[in-house]
Amino acid sequence: MSNSQHSDSGVDVLESDSPSKVNMHQGDEASSAQTDQTHFGFKQVATEQKATMVADVFHSVAAKYDVMNDLMSMGIHRLWKRFTLDCSGARSGHKVLDLAGGTGDLAAKFSKIVGENGKVILADINNAMLTVGRDKLRNMGVVGNIDYVQANAEMLPFPDNTFDIITIAFGLRNVTDKDKALASMYRVLKPGGRLLVLEFSKPSSEMLSKVYDLYSFHLLPKMGQLVANDSESYQYLAESIRMHPDQETLKGMMDKVGFEQTNFYNLTGGIVALHRGYKF
Amino acid sequence: MPAAQLVTAAIESAINTLLSLDESSDKALKPLSGKQLKVTLEEAPWPLLFHFSDRIDVLIPQPDQIADCSLEMSFITLQNLQDSSQITRLIQQQELRLEGDIHVAQHFSQLMTQLDIDWEQQLANYTGDVFAHNLFRALKQFGGQAKSTYGKFTRIVADGAIEEKRIAAPGLLVAAYCDKVNDLRSDVERLEARLNNLSLTTQNSVVKD
Repeated sequence: MSNSQHSDSGVDVLESDSPSKVNMHQGDEASSAQTDQTHFGFKQVATEQKATMVADVFHSVAAKYDVMNDLMSMGIHRLWKRFTLDCSGARSGHKVLDLAGGTGDLAAKFSKIVGENGKVILADINNAMLTVGRDKLRNMGVVGNIDYVQANAEMLPFPDNTFDIITIAFGLRNVTDKDKALASMYRVLKPGGRLLVLEFSKPSSEMLSKVYDLYSFHLLPKMGQLVANDSESYQYLAESIRMHPDQETLKGMMDKVGFEQTNFYNLTGGIVALHRGYKF
Repeated sequence: MPAAQLVTAAIESAINTLLSLDESSDKALKPLSGKQLKVTLEEAPWPLLFHFSDRIDVLIPQPDQIADCSLEMSFITLQNLQDSSQITRLIQQQELRLEGDIHVAQHFSQLMTQLDIDWEQQLANYTGDVFAHNLFRALKQFGGQAKSTYGKFTRIVADGAIEEKRIAAPGLLVAAYCDKVNDLRSDVERLEARLNNLSLTTQNSVVKD
């Protein structure tokens, strides 16, 4: 089933509930395409299957997404997002794309900052996440300068040189072809604009890494089971984090597609890193 | 943990909570909507960027980030800023460095100083009217008494400084008086020692007899 709905600004936004049409949060590297196999956490699965499997994960966690985020990170994810906002240099009149925006934490903040002369697009490939995000923001009174778009990061449905700022927070690791997605972001970014990638990364100390492994592979699925009645999704979360490129690799990927002055900031000992790159 | 973001989150939360307690703050915020104010305190580790909309977002600005108005000052000067009419004087005295639109700073100063919060009403929402009213009446009485005591104390100190100082002994005279008292104390101690000695001698001669 597919339907059409209105965003706050009246723009028609295509939504699709059909797993076959929802090519979402796919997680694979380009090299795996040769074998038609991709990873789903630590498992190897067929590329076509993965889209549905990741879709299921996010459909499953959407309702409890915010609660689980607070619980799993002990609220620190809010500070990581604040840091992203600080590094964005956003100001009144800017056009911002919050990609894989989930439940809209960043979009809500950006909406206030860019004001009525600016525009925020909250985009996510997952219909369930987008619906939860839209309902949440509307209940918070965040309306008027925000649109909701169901979009695939690899093929962004926007003209070239559209946005001043693009953020993707905890979403890139679920994208099938990260190089393609980064190139797509580069295309829609205005010259002078910046991309901010907030993502789990590699802890900088061995000790922290061991504690973090213990936490994410043993405690996290149990918390998921207790709160969201879903341990498998949180097992996938932990595994997908380990499969994501480390800080230097991701920086190299951003450089490769054309971003300049690329750098990254390790947050909470490298558990999370914020990558920033400019298009000139 | 990003400490700076923790601090800005706390400041942001405090400011917006205060604004939400004053219904007229919406109106006062309107002239600032869409503006940014950068505040750099010499004693603080980070500058702060206040972004105004229907609320206030507090951010850490990027080094190259330009705001509508930038202020640089010490913490002491910040306290003087409560009176927005002082801004020009502070700039002239080079206690405050200002770049950009001065009205943004003035509006922000007015917004924060003219907050009109009915704290009794706020407390009554949690405790009920009677308790809140009695508590605030008691606090007002206590405040009145404290003010009155402070006033009396200030008057006494002022009287002492102005009236009594004129007839008070000068420092040299006090020092000479203290020396004399010390001499007298020494004389008394010597006399006491002699008396004790005499008394001991008398006792010894009685025992011999």
